[in-house]
Formats: sequence, structure tokens, C-alpha cells
Amino acid sequence: MDPLLIGIIAAIAVIALLATGIPVAFGLGFVSFVFLILFEGFGSLSVVAETFFAGIGEFTLVSIPMFIVMGAAVASSPAGKDLFEALDRWLTRVPGGLIISNIGACSVFAALSGSSPATCAAIGKMGIPEMQKRGYPDSLAAGSIAAGGTLGILIPPSVTMIVYGIATETSIGRLFLAGVLPGLMLTALFMAWAIFFAWRSGYDFRDKIGSFSWRQKFEILPRVLPFLAIVVGILYVLYGGVATPSEAAGVGAFFCLFLVAVIYKIVQPKKIWEILSSSTRESVMILMIIGASALFAYTLSSLFITQSVAEYIAALDVNRWVLMGMINVFLLIAGFFLPPVAVIVMTAPILLPIIINAGFDPYWFAVILTINMEIGLITPPVGLNLYVINGIAPGISLPTILRGALPFMLCMVAGIILLCFFPEIATWLPEKIMG
Amino acid sequence: MSSFLKTVDAISSAFGVVAALLVTSAIFVVCQMVVMRYFLNESTVWQTEYVTYVIVAATFLGSPYVLLTKGHVNVDLLPHYLPPTPKKLMAIFASVIALLFCLILAWQAYLLLGEAIEGGWVTDTIWELPLWIPYLPMAFGMALLCVQYVAEILAIAFDSRDPAPAIDYPAERD
Repeated sequence: MDPLLIGIIAAIAVIALLATGIPVAFGLGFVSFVFLILFEGFGSLSVVAETFFAGIGEFTLVSIPMFIVMGAAVASSPAGKDLFEALDRWLTRVPGGLIISNIGACSVFAALSGSSPATCAAIGKMGIPEMQKRGYPDSLAAGSIAAGGTLGILIPPSVTMIVYGIATETSIGRLFLAGVLPGLMLTALFMAWAIFFAWRSGYDFRDKIGSFSWRQKFEILPRVLPFLAIVVGILYVLYGGVATPSEAAGVGAFFCLFLVAVIYKIVQPKKIWEILSSSTRESVMILMIIGASALFAYTLSSLFITQSVAEYIAALDVNRWVLMGMINVFLLIAGFFLPPVAVIVMTAPILLPIIINAGFDPYWFAVILTINMEIGLITPPVGLNLYVINGIAPGISLPTILRGALPFMLCMVAGIILLCFFPEIATWLPEKIMG
Repeated sequence: MSSFLKTVDAISSAFGVVAALLVTSAIFVVCQMVVMRYFLNESTVWQTEYVTYVIVAATFLGSPYVLLTKGHVNVDLLPHYLPPTPKKLMAIFASVIALLFCLILAWQAYLLLGEAIEGGWVTDTIWELPLWIPYLPMAFGMALLCVQYVAEILAIAFDSRDPAPAIDYPAERD
């Protein structure tokens, strides 16, 4: 049977099976088993345990639970609230300062926690009521936090980027660097839209709240700066080539647990246990998907599907930008239904050869892919951030949140288009620092 | 039957605790390794392999607990819009398929474990860790996952558990 046809049947089988609500990891694994047995016989099963084990048993992957613990420690503390307050106190005189504080706090917290929903929850709990209180429209308050939260998977350190790095065997340090400027660009685009929207709807930027004293401005810094130091420290050791991602993440996790204990007195065994057990749950879920995707990738390549699809696409000889457009639409649709990690591990082995054949940079593509995943986080049906906002701001209806989030989604599309015209936004910084 | 469910749930929860402890130990070992390597300039022997395999062990041993607490991510769009009876049937169907996957992987993991013990396989590092040690949690964890799935299917079939997966928002963490 033609490998291309088998590939199409496999894709349909995965989609149909996942639609039943089976956990992604087990669905992927089951389809792999069925195709191996059908086309290679029962004997081919003898490698599956080793393949699955090897998929998870990699030192780089240790960084995933470590970064998740780091994020969970920060998310369990009021650090997000303090971050927001610090920015608000410092930016209170700037027009639209509250918007900048909100989205800015999101991007910083996102870097720390690496989790989009956790960012929305941490900043939104404080930021949304504050924006409502100062007269900003509900839709803008909800939309800006929903969008700001998505920055978590783009701004380093990012679990999504680590997964991409492992799935495609690309350098994680370089991927992190590639995400920095696009992350800042999206942050700026979000802020610009929010300020423009507030201005157009007749919002009076002269804040109704008085200014803060210097004392207030400074007394909050000791609670915020140590966390920033951790992020900067992690990036520094990674790019200085001092340590591997797993080492940086392990030390980062330790320091974050230490900081929340010292600054926020989170020392009760019950609270610490909550941090550790919730992060373990999340890590197990992600690592099982990674193990299953190793099986899936093995199956696709031993049935020559990966190679055939790449050859087929190359033979089509379409314009590379038309191809990129099609890939984007495909990723966008996948992102509507599946969490970022699942989309990356399932599609990266197939997409990467195509991307490289067409002359695109794999690091630049990682950024494009991640922004597509970010869009999925704020669009129905499974836009996780929308539901998180709905949970923390019960006064704002889901349609209003959706309406508020839509323009930010367009900002991300604009970001993708900008990246296509100016790939340097993603490639310049890694080039400059790592050569 | 409910005592069977309770026992299985309790065992899975206990291994959930073990998994979290393993992850915690990995944090400390990574820090110890960093201190050894970068501050004392000494070489490390066992740390890299330890943390790698401990995370693998945590993944397999923690998996039944993650299933119990509905933490394995899925696409619940279609089940969400189904009426109760088809929804229940579909949940049972999905669980049976998942159980089949777990059974095959558990069985293969046992075969691999046996080979590693018989062949006296060790890792190709100076530590020379016998490979059956990291393979054991895979075989055991997958077997426990099968048992948890049987419990899951029974629970859904006899309506003692809601087939709709609970969505765990980090917002609910505090």
C-alpha cells in the first residue's frame, strides 16, 4: 500500500479516536500499535517498550518537571499580584499605564511560570477588577489578560519550546532566544491595541486614582526583583553555555520554592505538597504524551510515511509561502482542539523535513508554530484561557470575553505576518548571541 | 465492587505520592550536581542518570494517579455535547481502547524487563546501572494503570463515577 495513503488513514484514525475523548497519549499509542501490527506484523511490537522508554528517558526532558515545579511554586504565591502592583505603582502616571501594567505583568509572570492558564489566573484576579474599577470596558479587561497569558508559551523559559526542541532535535537554548523578541513584539502589539481601543471608546486616560509615593514604589520591589533575577539568571546560564536546560531548571525550581518560602511564608507542608503534587500531575501528563509520540513517530517513519509526505510535498513544487500559509492554517485548526504539547509532538516529525526542504529556518518556524498554539488558547472550543478568565471574573460573560479576545487574536495573526516579512525578529538574537 | 474500587484508588494515590517524592528528589539531586560540577569542579558519576530515570519512574508510577484524578489531557468536545447514555457508552469505549494500549505496553514492558534481567544489561556509562532497575517502574506502573482503567470502566458502567472529565483549572489551585 502506498505510504502516503497509509499516512492519510493514520491521520484520520488519530482524529476519530481522539474525538471519543480518549486521553491523547493513549489514543496516539493505540493507533501506533494498530498500524505496526497491520503492516509489520506482531513481531514489530517487540520494540515498543524500548521506544516508549527511550522517548521519556532523556536528560533534557528532566527540565520539564523542573520548570513546571518552578511555575507552580510562583503561581501558588501572591507573586503575580505583587508583580502587577509593582508595575501599576511605577506606571501610574503613564497614559494607559494600567493596560501596560497588566500586559507587562502577564509577560513577566508568563516567563516565570511558563503556563498560560496560570498567568491568566495570577494576573487576572487582580488586574481585571482593577481595570473595571477604573472604567475600562469589560471586554478589554478580559481580552487583554486572556491574550497576555498566552505569552507564557513563547517567552522563555517555555515548556512548549523544550518539547519542540526535543521533538525536532534542535537547540533549546537557541529556541528560547528565538522566542524573546517575538514575545516582546506581541506584548507591544497587545498593548498598542488595548490603548488604541480604550482611546477610541472615549476612555479618559487621566487616571482617577492618585499617584503613589516613592516609599510605596520602593517597598514592593524586594518582593518582585528576586523572581526577575531567577529568570535572568536562567537565561544567562543557558546562553553563556554554562549549564544545560535541566540544570538551570532544577536550580530555578529550588530557588523559586525557596523564595516563596522566604517572601510569602509558604512553608506549610500542605501547601508545599500541593505545589509538588500538582506539578507532578502535569509533568506525568506531558511526559506520557511525549512517550506516546515517540512511538507514533517511530511508526510513521518505519512505514515510510514521514519520508513520503515530505517527498510528496516537495514534488508538488508549490510556492514556499503558499506552503507556509497552508501549514499555518493546519496548525491553527489543530490548535483549536488540542493542547500545544500534543500538537507539537504529533506534527513536528512530519512538518520539520518539509519546512527545512522549503528553506525555512527551524527556529523561526518554532516561533510561528508557538504563536499558532497561542491563538488556540484564546479561541473556542477549547481555549483554556477563556475559561480561566470566566472562572476568575464571573461577572463577565463568556461572549464578552470572546469579543474582547478576538482583536488580540488578530494581533497574533499580524505578528505571524510580520515574522514572515521580517524573519530576523526571531533569528537575529540567537544569531547575535550564539553565532 | 466498591471495595475493589476503593482499594485500587488508594494504591494509585499512594503511587501518586511516590511519584511526587521522586520528582522532588530529582530537584535536590540536580542542585547537588550543579554544586559539584560548577562550584567544586568535581566530576559527577551517577547524578545525570539518576534524575533521568527517576523522572521516567515518576511518569509511569504517577500515571494511574493522574488517570484517577482525570489529569490525562483529552479532547472532550464531542462527549460534552452527547446525551447521557451515548456519552457513557463513548466513555466506556474510549476507556477500553486505552486499556488495550496499556495492556500491550505493560506486556511488552514485562518482556523487556525479563530480557534485561536475564541478559544482565547495564547502562553504558561508568555508573553501569543495571537496566532492569529503570525498566521495573515502567512494567509495574503500566500494570497498575491497567488495573486503574478496569476500575475506571467498572465505575463508569455502574454510574459510581461521572464520565465527564473534570477540568482542572490552575485558577482552582488556591
